[in-house]
Amino acid sequence: MLMLGWTWGLLFAPQDAVQGNSYRIIFLHVPSVIFAELIYFFMAVCALMHLVWRVKLGAYLIKSAAPIGAMITFIGLLSGSIWGIPTWGTWWQWDARITSTLILFIMYLGILTLHGSFSNLEKADRLMSILVVIGVVNIPIIKKSVDWWSTLHQPASISVSGGSSIDPSMLYPLLISVIGLGFTLISLGILSSRSYIFIREKNKRWISENV
Amino acid sequence: MFNLAFENFNEILYMDGHGIYVWSVYSIGTFLIFLSFLIAKKSIRDIQQKIKIKNASS
Repeated sequence: MLMLGWTWGLLFAPQDAVQGNSYRIIFLHVPSVIFAELIYFFMAVCALMHLVWRVKLGAYLIKSAAPIGAMITFIGLLSGSIWGIPTWGTWWQWDARITSTLILFIMYLGILTLHGSFSNLEKADRLMSILVVIGVVNIPIIKKSVDWWSTLHQPASISVSGGSSIDPSMLYPLLISVIGLGFTLISLGILSSRSYIFIREKNKRWISENV
Repeated sequence: MFNLAFENFNEILYMDGHGIYVWSVYSIGTFLIFLSFLIAKKSIRDIQQKIKIKNASS
């Protein structure tokens, strides 16, 4: 599905009147940053599950999702930077949207580093969950940054309530790319969490019986 | 909506001078996603192997 969206966007969608063909980066950039935020939100829900109800699986899912979140945020930042060269004439600008997304990337790396720095894994799980909950404040800041501050980054072109300012010939491949990347990341998340559950529970009988 | 936006293969690659930006973004993105799948699959294989060895020795 991701390949369908990308092929449609790269080869069949018309050229943009202002940005020319460089706008085709949108079919990777926008899905990446959407999932960079959604994965963090998912991690925050898992962190609450772990902190409030002591569900171990919550911590396992955070630890499995964080590298995927870091990878997809990196792709979002990199694609935005490369897109910025022909569009803005610069690859980086310390504006609110870009800086808050960079903070999100640093948060992902911080979560992974924090967890890796403790030998007591239960303590690491708890501290990691607390850090995830604290960091969730950054998500609405990223979302609203283009409205709250004057930024080089353009405001949202698509909204859940207010429709879209993008022509359907570009919007449809974009939506398919978003759904396709979603399925791809869910598959990756299932593989990654399966592996981490095996690592953490390897001494348990139910794991031995099922391998 | 389903007409090819380019005349030939060279135009697809060049994209009026933007091809270098567009194709580099998609190449890096695809590589990183593919690499993540490989790492996850290898990690599962390794831990399953360890558990099997442990089961066999006990």
